[in-house]
Amino acid sequence: MVALPAGRTRRPRRPSAREAGTALLFVLPFLLLFIVFRFGPAIAGAVLGFTDYTIGGEAGFVGLDNFRRLVEDSTFWSALRVTVIFTAISVPLSMIASLAMAVLTRRMFRGVKLFRSIFFLPVVTSLVLAGVVFTWVFSEGGPWSQAMGALGLPAGSWLADSVLVVPALVLVSVWSRFGYGMLILLARMQDIPAELEEAALTDGASAWQRFRYVTLPQLRPALFFVAIIETTVSFQVFDTIYVMTGGGPVRSSYTLVYMLYDQGFKYFDLGYASAVGVALFVLTIIVALIQRLTLGREK
Amino acid sequence: MTDTLAPPAAVTPTGPVPPRRRSRPYRPGRPSLTARIVRTVLLLLGALVTLFPFYAMVVLSFKPTGPVTFPDSLLPWPFSTEAYDQVIGAKSVLRWMWNTVVYSVVSVVGVLLFASMAGYAFAKKRFPGKEAMFWSFLAMLMVPYHVTMIPTFIIIAELNGVDSYWGMIVPTLANAQAVFLMRQFIASLPDSLFEAARLDGCSEWRVYVSIVLPLIKPIMATLGVFVFLWHWNDFLWPLIVGQSLDMRTLTTGIASLQQENVALNMLLAGSVVAFVPIFMAYLIGQRYFTEGVSTTGIKG
Amino acid sequence: MRVRKSLSAVAVALVAALAAGGCGGSDSGGSDKKSVTMWIYPVIADEAKHRAYWDETITAFKAKHPDTEVKVEIFPWANRDQALATAIAGNKGPDVVYLIPDQLPKYARNIEPVDAYLDDAAKSDYHENVAKAVTIDGKMMGAPVLTSSQPLTCNKKVFEAVGQQTYPSTWNDVLAMAPAFKAKGYDITSYPGDIKNTLNLTFYPLLWQAGGDVFAPDGKSTAFNSDAGRKALGFVKQLVDGGYTEKSLITTQPPVEQTRLAQNKVGCVWHAPTSELEQFWGKDNIKVLPPLTETKSVAYGTIGTLSMLKGAQDKKAAGEWIAFVSGADQAKKYDLASNYFSAKKSAGALYSGQPVVGEIEKFVSTTTPGPLHEKARDVQGVLAPEIQAALLGKKSVDQALSDAAKAADQLLG
Repeated sequence: MVALPAGRTRRPRRPSAREAGTALLFVLPFLLLFIVFRFGPAIAGAVLGFTDYTIGGEAGFVGLDNFRRLVEDSTFWSALRVTVIFTAISVPLSMIASLAMAVLTRRMFRGVKLFRSIFFLPVVTSLVLAGVVFTWVFSEGGPWSQAMGALGLPAGSWLADSVLVVPALVLVSVWSRFGYGMLILLARMQDIPAELEEAALTDGASAWQRFRYVTLPQLRPALFFVAIIETTVSFQVFDTIYVMTGGGPVRSSYTLVYMLYDQGFKYFDLGYASAVGVALFVLTIIVALIQRLTLGREK
Repeated sequence: MTDTLAPPAAVTPTGPVPPRRRSRPYRPGRPSLTARIVRTVLLLLGALVTLFPFYAMVVLSFKPTGPVTFPDSLLPWPFSTEAYDQVIGAKSVLRWMWNTVVYSVVSVVGVLLFASMAGYAFAKKRFPGKEAMFWSFLAMLMVPYHVTMIPTFIIIAELNGVDSYWGMIVPTLANAQAVFLMRQFIASLPDSLFEAARLDGCSEWRVYVSIVLPLIKPIMATLGVFVFLWHWNDFLWPLIVGQSLDMRTLTTGIASLQQENVALNMLLAGSVVAFVPIFMAYLIGQRYFTEGVSTTGIKG
Repeated sequence: MRVRKSLSAVAVALVAALAAGGCGGSDSGGSDKKSVTMWIYPVIADEAKHRAYWDETITAFKAKHPDTEVKVEIFPWANRDQALATAIAGNKGPDVVYLIPDQLPKYARNIEPVDAYLDDAAKSDYHENVAKAVTIDGKMMGAPVLTSSQPLTCNKKVFEAVGQQTYPSTWNDVLAMAPAFKAKGYDITSYPGDIKNTLNLTFYPLLWQAGGDVFAPDGKSTAFNSDAGRKALGFVKQLVDGGYTEKSLITTQPPVEQTRLAQNKVGCVWHAPTSELEQFWGKDNIKVLPPLTETKSVAYGTIGTLSMLKGAQDKKAAGEWIAFVSGADQAKKYDLASNYFSAKKSAGALYSGQPVVGEIEKFVSTTTPGPLHEKARDVQGVLAPEIQAALLGKKSVDQALSDAAKAADQLLG
């Protein structure tokens, strides 16, 4: 993990009270902000899950009621399923797109910088704007439905279809994210020692073999990093759902974060919404552990 | 806010931020002609798919109000600026832009200031509780932002901060990732730089202002660009805190136009107006955006 | 909660420190001038016209009450409950807000009744059904300023194009005419099923026409999972399955001008605002008809009221403003400007003899304002997706309604 102060050579003397005092003054503003707006709310978020707090009303302790309700709430299970499915499609797709584009723009040639800039453009674009445009792209008779119709695939509006709505949202997500992964992977590729690939080349390895046995293993930590980030982003996808589907049709794109928002700020059932938040936290931890155990094992 | 930042495990020295030990870049011979053609075709295809939504956004925003069909409507004519007149005149897009500027700029300044102060202390000072504090900062990165959002809203509501700039901005200043990156960067600076100034009798604040701040300009730039981008595109928090019409940002404003079901050309005209500033910033400061990704690993 | 309180204390100190550093927001400090803030929605669709109406009204009000500053903010209809509830929660709610009867029970505990601020003559001038719809526990929760009505409106041009001579009056008429419309490339009707739409306008009228209701009379359970409910949902499903309505509208809501309704491809609707129809169909092409009948002919119609919130800064000033705006003369001006109808007996018919509005006005007395229940809006939240499920064929009509009833009854606790 993170080594604390880097490059500390000699055992330092004990800090004087004065020195410690000034140091604390430097940390203090951030520390206060952190306690009030990150640490405190994280604790309070868990505590609220055990209350029936609604805005304007008093909070009463209700024990596990919210969690019991959660377990019995079919909406919750469907939201959990949608979240997991979305992530399970979105992360691999966006990693494949990132990797492909990184490989294609790896070498220097005329125009490569322009291509990289283009591919990164969606990353700086707000998801709300992306959602607005893609709502039209996916609309009935819009570009996507006509393209699909021409290919003999399900035409019509994917956003109106309870099965295809998640793939549609995933495509928007991949469009907006792949440029980011691409840059991370490119940065790592520049650091692969030339000797490795040259050795493989002199051994007569084909381009695919070089990629498969030299580049890819070297990229492993970077891919792991991208996977973790993309998973986090996918779990928390909200903007595009808010704009494009409102969780519909028939709650087919109703994710955990959307449920948290809906319960919290539409029905103002903040206790219940906090319980959803706790569930989201648990899910995040579980997935992070799984990722560490599988993807990150050779470290 | 730090919701989509990497969990700490990812920001280890084995992550994608290795020390630059670029010995000799790998330069194989020119790829064959076929390979180059295939590559160019694939790249052009990728660029087309990437740019198509932007093209559609711009072209359709310059249409007169009316039904849109594909592909006919993607031709640049008939051309009309009607939608822009409406969206800038009747809807308060310019007000939203101002709000977005305030939200982004003040937050960037705040984050950079507090994070660099704390980062400096964590990198170069010793004080009791330092390790515990630092680890708890990192541990909090694991907690999804949405878990803390509701209590944060309650706190802001209790403080009468709903529908105010400060209520929107202050909670976002608690950016632990920024502190972490600042600490990393400052720790790599040689101690001698600070010692000399201290021996000259400078106060700690002087050291910070006249030595630390100039030295950390590079990280300020990349981090600043990303914090700015994050705030410019932030949606959920402004949506909750800035409910009144006067407090909308570009993202929440455009979303409200969409919820109101305004005509498509108006909706897209609003989107173009919202997109232009960040696009210009990207054109000008592209270096910082791309460097930011490869060195900080912050979400865009 | 103690944790929250002490956290708040720290936060106060912190924010105070930041404010001292020039980070403060703009605070509307306590001046001597009385002020009233009102939130209203696009009752007049043309925003400039609406704005002008209120500017004029404020000027007129200030002539009588020079010490009171009035600010009217026009909010969008979409997500208005979220905006209002959040603002109330953050102590940033308006002093006066436009509400309709099915919202009143939900906000009842935040509302200051207007009884004390209206004189008796004004109160007794309201139509009885109007007064009843805004009264909770014997107190008037708001001062009505307008009434509306959504009977059936048909597009004459479309009927001519299809060669249909008569207009529908029953569900069976609609189903019988539908194939002819489809054959000529038209839709007999359209059903907006996107959950952004209020069921008051879309599904509930059908439920009432079939003789059903949303809640049981005692309000302790829901009642839509009934024969009437199944009939109503079955009717819509028949229209959808037959291809007689625009299918993508069941789940999505494109901008109006992109829909077949706006392109003059739809025969009759019961949910579109008159202003929209006039814009896209033209005044001369609108045929106003009695609401459809299954077992009875009934339409949705609402009552716009101005309610005072308990958090109002200056209740007296807010009360004066409400009394002024809802007064017979002023309210009549608003009704005429917005093409809505009067809530007052003294006003009589505002549009007699006029095409379209004059005909719609005739149906005001037969309308119903939607369920008056604290959880009315929450129940819509669980029912709307189930209706979509049935219309998409994901669930049977029976299943969808019983699932919705189960979830809704849980909300009622």
